[in-house]
Amino acid sequence: MIEVRNLSKHFSHEGRRIAALDDVSLQVAAGEIYGIIGRSGAGKSTLIRCLNLLERPDSGTVKLGEQELTALPEGELQLRRQRIGMVFQHFNLLRSRTVAGNVRFPLELAGGLTPAQMDARVDELLQLVGLADHKEKRPSQLSGGQKQRVGIARALANHPDLLLCDEATSALDPETTDSILALLADINRQLNLTIVLITHDMRVIRQLCDHVSVMDHGKVVEKGSVLDVFLQPQHAVTRSLLAETGFGQGERVDAWRARIGVPLLKLTFVGEPTLSPVLDKVGRETGLRVNLLSGTLSEIRDTPCGQLLVGVVASDVELPALPEIFAREGVRCEVLA
Amino acid sequence: MSGFDPSLLLTVDWPEIGTATLDTLTMLGVSLLFTIVFGLPLGVLLYISAPGQLRARPRLYAVMSFLVNVLRSLPFVILLIVLIPLTLLLVGTSIGVAGAIVPLVVGAIPFFGRLVENVLREVDRGVIEASQSMGAKLPQIVFKVLLPEAMPGLIGAATVTAVALVGYTAMSGVIGGGGLGDLAIRYGYQRFQTEVMIVTVALLLVLVQALQSAGDALVRRCRFG
Ligand SMILES: Nc1ncnc2c1ncn2[C@@H]1O[C@H](COP(=O)(O)OP(=O)(O)O)[C@@H](O)[C@H]1O
Ligand SMILES: [Mg+2]
Repeated sequence: MIEVRNLSKHFSHEGRRIAALDDVSLQVAAGEIYGIIGRSGAGKSTLIRCLNLLERPDSGTVKLGEQELTALPEGELQLRRQRIGMVFQHFNLLRSRTVAGNVRFPLELAGGLTPAQMDARVDELLQLVGLADHKEKRPSQLSGGQKQRVGIARALANHPDLLLCDEATSALDPETTDSILALLADINRQLNLTIVLITHDMRVIRQLCDHVSVMDHGKVVEKGSVLDVFLQPQHAVTRSLLAETGFGQGERVDAWRARIGVPLLKLTFVGEPTLSPVLDKVGRETGLRVNLLSGTLSEIRDTPCGQLLVGVVASDVELPALPEIFAREGVRCEVLA
Repeated sequence: MSGFDPSLLLTVDWPEIGTATLDTLTMLGVSLLFTIVFGLPLGVLLYISAPGQLRARPRLYAVMSFLVNVLRSLPFVILLIVLIPLTLLLVGTSIGVAGAIVPLVVGAIPFFGRLVENVLREVDRGVIEASQSMGAKLPQIVFKVLLPEAMPGLIGAATVTAVALVGYTAMSGVIGGGGLGDLAIRYGYQRFQTEVMIVTVALLLVLVQALQSAGDALVRRCRFG
């Protein structure tokens, strides 16, 4: 669906040259939700703005399907953009228009519909995002979550095949965030719409995304399926972004080891084993007794999974034999001795 | 100056005051109309051509901006005199109501244009960017986003301009422009008829107040929710 190749973009700021994007490449499959995560200033917004060319990259190409966006003349690009929805952190609604007027706006831009057809489409969209009762309100009379629903309805108006979300939930409280994420997941399923979203919040990635790229200083430092990235993070930036989720706490291992002076195991559960008494079973078979140090059990999208860090108090078998034994139960075990 | 005797008001030539008031209103109305017709596009042009804006043309912007500054720095009285040949060319006379309108418009366009530019700059960049992301073309951005979003500010700018024009119309009395200012100068100043001066100033004050109230009411009506 999307193929981004070797994108670079520099900004000059107070005489210094900043590489906002440094040779970024990635691919997004049709129908998936693709997350881009990184700290503030990592270059996420610049990257997503390059996907509809609101920002022109210095070099590199963006392909949507068979079409190379970076090669399109301005007029054709404007036409193509009508079918790339974009949702913003601060909603960016027209204050001068009502809710219905805002959703109608992209239809007016595109042309080709009669006023009655536009009205019908607006009603349909407001129904979809659950705002049918707020049609005639002004944006200033809406809550943040409602404003973002208008933003989403507007972005969907011209039947886009791609939806870009720039920190769509970062200005919202946690509950509202969950409801907007649920809406995006719904839309993705119902319309089979490809979504690219950027965020600094790993929870958003965990709840919503299939694949993720981690950005730092304009570079993609890690990418892969969300399960892999959460359970086996490779890069320090990824681990620190994961810290608050309880996953991937590799950095803490040394501290734990020093404090308790026993070998540590990192156990990773994905799917069914997460819900079974694996530790108990292995314990009875091998005399393994452990000291639970930290961990998390959770869901990534809809897959139950978890990660435990345990200290080995006693074991009848040699430590190197443990991974094999756990693997039989479908659990990944790493010995951190 | 001696004390003012209210009974003198009875001696004021009221029909002439009436004519002068009408003249002032005509000059104001016509020149405000032309000022908006030319000043609004000028303001939009200044806004979109400024460096870093939608159609940045730094050199064109610098030239327009300089011309605007030149016209704005000229005292209006000078403009009145300098423009006499142009006025003759355009309306055939350089005096009276018709003669005053050309310098009024020329003086007010750059003033209003600059106000418009500043008002447009206050429009949220995010909203403009959102419309670009939806594939809006430049005219669509101007007419469907910039102008509607800036409407309260634009009405405010028009109000300020109208009030400034009232001041200019009074000054155009200097070249025999007609209207209340003309009357104040001819009777009040040159013939020491203080009562005429007071009546004209009072009428000008009422006019300014009315304009401001009307402008404020319009802004309130179109402020967004
Ligand atoms: N228009 C711009 N002019 C100058 N510097 C910019 C501009 N846009 C972004 N940058 C810089 O590029 C870097 C990446 O910015 P951005 O893509 O907004 O990061 P993020 O969205 O990850 O917070 C930052 O250092 C930022 O200051
Ligand atoms: Mg950003």
